[in-house]
Amino acid sequence: MYEEMYEGAGRDLGKLEKGLINSYVEGAVSRRSFLVRGSVMGLSATFLGSVLAACGDDDDKSSSSGGDIKQGGTIRIATQTPGGPLDPVAMAELGTYTQIVTAFEYLAGPGEGAAVAPMLAESWSPNDDGSVWTFKLRSGVKWHDGSDFTSADVVASLDRLAGSNLSAYIVEGASTAVDDLTVEVALNAPDGQFPYQVSIYNPQAVITPASFELGTTLDAVKTGTGAFKLESFDPATGSTFVRNDDWWGGKPYLDKVEFVFSEDLPTQVTGMAAGEVDAIVQFSVIGGDALLNNGDLTVESIRGAAHRQIWMNVREGEFTDVRVREAVALGIDRQALVDTVLSGRGDIGNDSPIAPSYEGFDSSQPQRERDVDKAKALLEEAGKAGLEVTLYYPELQEIPQMAELIQTQLKDIGMNVTLSLEPYATFYDKWCAVYDSTNEPAGCDGGEDFGIVDYGNRGTPDVYLVKAYATGEWNSAHYNSEEFNAAVAEYQAAIDLDTRKAAVKKIQEIANRDVPYVIPYFYNSLTAYKKNVSGIRATGLGHYYLGKAGFTA
Amino acid sequence: MKRFILKRVASMVVTLWLLSTIVFMVVNVLPGNVARKVLGGQALEEDVIRLNARLGTDKPLLEQYWTSIRRIFTLSFGDSYKSQVPVSDIIFPALGRSAKLALLAFIITIPLSIAAGIYAARRQDKPIDRAIVTVGLSTSAIPEFVTATVLLVVFAVKLNLGKVYANPPDGVGLFGQLEYLLLPALAMSIAYFGYIARMTRAGVIGALHADFTRTAVMKGLSQGQVMRRHVLRNAMAPTIVVISTSVGYLIGGIVGVEKVFNYAGLGQTMLDAVNKSDIPVLQGAVLLVGIIYMVSTLLADLFIAYLNPRVRLEKSR
Repeated sequence: MYEEMYEGAGRDLGKLEKGLINSYVEGAVSRRSFLVRGSVMGLSATFLGSVLAACGDDDDKSSSSGGDIKQGGTIRIATQTPGGPLDPVAMAELGTYTQIVTAFEYLAGPGEGAAVAPMLAESWSPNDDGSVWTFKLRSGVKWHDGSDFTSADVVASLDRLAGSNLSAYIVEGASTAVDDLTVEVALNAPDGQFPYQVSIYNPQAVITPASFELGTTLDAVKTGTGAFKLESFDPATGSTFVRNDDWWGGKPYLDKVEFVFSEDLPTQVTGMAAGEVDAIVQFSVIGGDALLNNGDLTVESIRGAAHRQIWMNVREGEFTDVRVREAVALGIDRQALVDTVLSGRGDIGNDSPIAPSYEGFDSSQPQRERDVDKAKALLEEAGKAGLEVTLYYPELQEIPQMAELIQTQLKDIGMNVTLSLEPYATFYDKWCAVYDSTNEPAGCDGGEDFGIVDYGNRGTPDVYLVKAYATGEWNSAHYNSEEFNAAVAEYQAAIDLDTRKAAVKKIQEIANRDVPYVIPYFYNSLTAYKKNVSGIRATGLGHYYLGKAGFTA
Repeated sequence: MKRFILKRVASMVVTLWLLSTIVFMVVNVLPGNVARKVLGGQALEEDVIRLNARLGTDKPLLEQYWTSIRRIFTLSFGDSYKSQVPVSDIIFPALGRSAKLALLAFIITIPLSIAAGIYAARRQDKPIDRAIVTVGLSTSAIPEFVTATVLLVVFAVKLNLGKVYANPPDGVGLFGQLEYLLLPALAMSIAYFGYIARMTRAGVIGALHADFTRTAVMKGLSQGQVMRRHVLRNAMAPTIVVISTSVGYLIGGIVGVEKVFNYAGLGQTMLDAVNKSDIPVLQGAVLLVGIIYMVSTLLADLFIAYLNPRVRLEKSR
C-alpha cells in the first residue's frame, strides 16, 4: 500500500513506520499525531513534510524565533538551587536538571509540541515489533575536552541507566555498539515509544562519557557535548557556563551563561521583576503574578502533563466505597480551581493521568462536571453523609491554596475536610504509602488516606500509569485493578497506533470510573525572559536550551 | 590571666561537645528519611537506599553519633549529604560571606550608634534624647526580616537602588560589591542601632553621675578629658558586651536577612541544612557559630579587663 509514499525516507521502512504512514493517508491519524509519532520512530522532518505535502497538507509552521540575534553577551538566569550533587544518574529535581542538561545532551531532543527531534542521535528506527531500536549517532560531535563522542559513550551511559532509571526497559549489556556511530538497543519487551525514554522526557537519560562512573558529578569532571561548558559551580550561589565553539549545532550567540541560585520562588520572581536577571527558568502562577502582566517580559506557557493528584485510599479507611470517591470528584469545581489558582493557565482534568496534550488522548470521553446534588446523594447512599476527613498536602507552589478551595467546595456536599499542611521536606513520608501487602513493593510505611501530591511533566504517561495506578511504589491510593493493569499492559505492548489508542481509551475510562485519584487539572509550566532575549527553548522539564539564544540588537 | 584563658578554653570544648550532641539529637528527632529528603519525594526507592548506604545514614544511631562526635575532635566534618562535597568547602565560604556582611553592618552601626548614645546621654531628657531613644526602641522592635523586606521592595524593586540577589557575581570589585551588600547590611544595622545606642546612653549616664566623674570635674579637668579618661572608660563595658555578642550573632548570619536577600551566608546555609537534614553541614555550621560566639565573648572580657583594671583584679582572684 502507498509504496510511493515510503520513498524518500532514506532507509527501508519497517512495519511500524509503514503502518503510521498508511493511517495518516487514510485519515486515521491527525497531522499533529503523525508528526509526533513519526519523530519518535526516527523519520526525518523533511520526509514527514514530503508525506504531508503529498497528501495536500502543507507544512505551515514557520520559525518564530530568531529575529536579529547579535553575537555575544552574558545572560543571567534565575533558577532553583540544585537540591543535590550534579549527578546525572541520581538527580531527582529541576534545580539539578537545569545544570546537568546545560552541559549534557540526550539521544533525542525537543521537537515540535510533544514530539522529539534528533539530538545526539541523528536518526533511529525500530525493528518490526519494536523490540530492538537502532540509533545512528551524529558524527563530528566532541566532548568539551576535545575527545570524540562515539557509540562507546552511549553504550556505557545506557548500561549505567539499566541499573536505575531505565531498569524497566533494558538490562546491562542490552546495548551494543555496531560501529563507532551506531548503537543497537534490545529492549526487555517491545515498546513502540522507546525513544521517549532516551529523550529529554526522561531527564536522567543524558549521555555521559564512557569514563563516567555511577556517582561522578559534573562539577568534578567538567564535560558534556552541549552548547555551553561548565566553568564554575558553587552549590550555594550559582554557576557559570561558557560558549562551546565546537558545538555540533554551530557557534552559540551567547558568550556566557550565569545561573543565579535561590532556594525559593519569591526571590527568583523578585529578581526578575527588578530586572536583575534576564530570564527565570520556571515559575508558577501562584507567587509569580508579578511577572504575568509585566510589559517588559515575554511569558511563555508550556502546555504539558504536569498535574496534581488527590489520592484516596481505596483499601482502608473512609474512601473504600467508590461512591464516596466519586462524590469527592463531583464535589470539586475544576474550572474554579484552574481560574483561581492557575489564572486559567491549565487544562481541566478528567480523573485520569492522560493529559489532553498527549497523543492518543480520547476526547470523546464525557468530562466530569461539578454536581453537588449527585455528590450529596452518593455520600448519603454510601452512609457517609457529613464525612469528616483530613487532607494532607505539601507546602508547595499553589497546592496550599488549592487545598483551601477544595475544603470549601467539599463543604457544599456536606464533607468536613480538616487541612493538614506538611513541610515539603517531610511530606513524602506521608505520601509514599506502601504498607503490609505482598503485591506492593517494600518501601515506606505510614501513608495517609487522603492527600494531594505533585507530578511533573512527562513525555508519555507511562510513569504515572505504572508507578501510581498499577501496583507501583507511588501508589498512595493502594489501587489494584486487574482490569486496569491489563489495559496498561496492552498500552505498553501496543506496537501499532490503533491498539495503543484503544488501550488509552480503556485506561481513561477505568481511571475515571474507579477514581482512586481525582486529577482536577494539568497545569502549564511558565517561563519568562526579557523582551530583548530571543531563541530560548524551554521544555517545562527543567531544560533551558540556550544554544540558539541571544540578545536582540 | 593565663589560667583564666585556659579555663575558658576548657569550658569551650565541653560546650562544643554539648552543642554537637544537641544538634545530632535534634536532627535525628526530626522525621524523614535522609536520602529521600536529599533526593526529593519522587526519587526512586533504589536510589534512596543506595544513597543512605553511601552516607551511612542506614547505620545504627549510636554508630552515627560516634561518627559525628569524632568529627569535632578531628575537625573534619565529612561530606555534605546534599551536595556531597566536604563540609569545610561549604561552611567556610559561607562564613566568609556572613563576615563580610557583618563587617559592613558594623562599619555602619557602631560609630553611628555609639555617637548617638553619647550625644543622647549628654542631653538627657531633652527632646533630642527622647527622639534618639524612641527611634532606637522602634527600630530594634521591628524584626530584621521585616526591615529587610521593606528595604528590598522599596529600594531594590521600586527604585532599582541595590540588589535583590545579594551574592555579588564573580569578579565584582570591592566597590561593586557594596551595591550588593548595602541593603542587607542596612537591615542589620537598623536592628542593632537602637540596641547599641541605648546601651551606650545608659552607660554614659551612669558614669556621668558617678562620684569619680564629679571628682574629675572638681579637680578641674576639661570636659573632653573627663569624657575620655573617666566617663567612657567606665561607661563602655556594657556596650562592648553587647557588641561582642552581636559579633557572634551577625557573623553567625541573621537568617531572616540572608533569606530575604538570598545571601548564601551561614544563616541561610544552616536553614537549608535543617530543611534537608544535612547533618554534617548543620553540625559544622553550628559549631563554627558556637566557636565564634565563645571567642568573641572571651575577647570582649579581655578587652573590658584591659579598659577597667578593677575587673581584672576580680577575675584573677
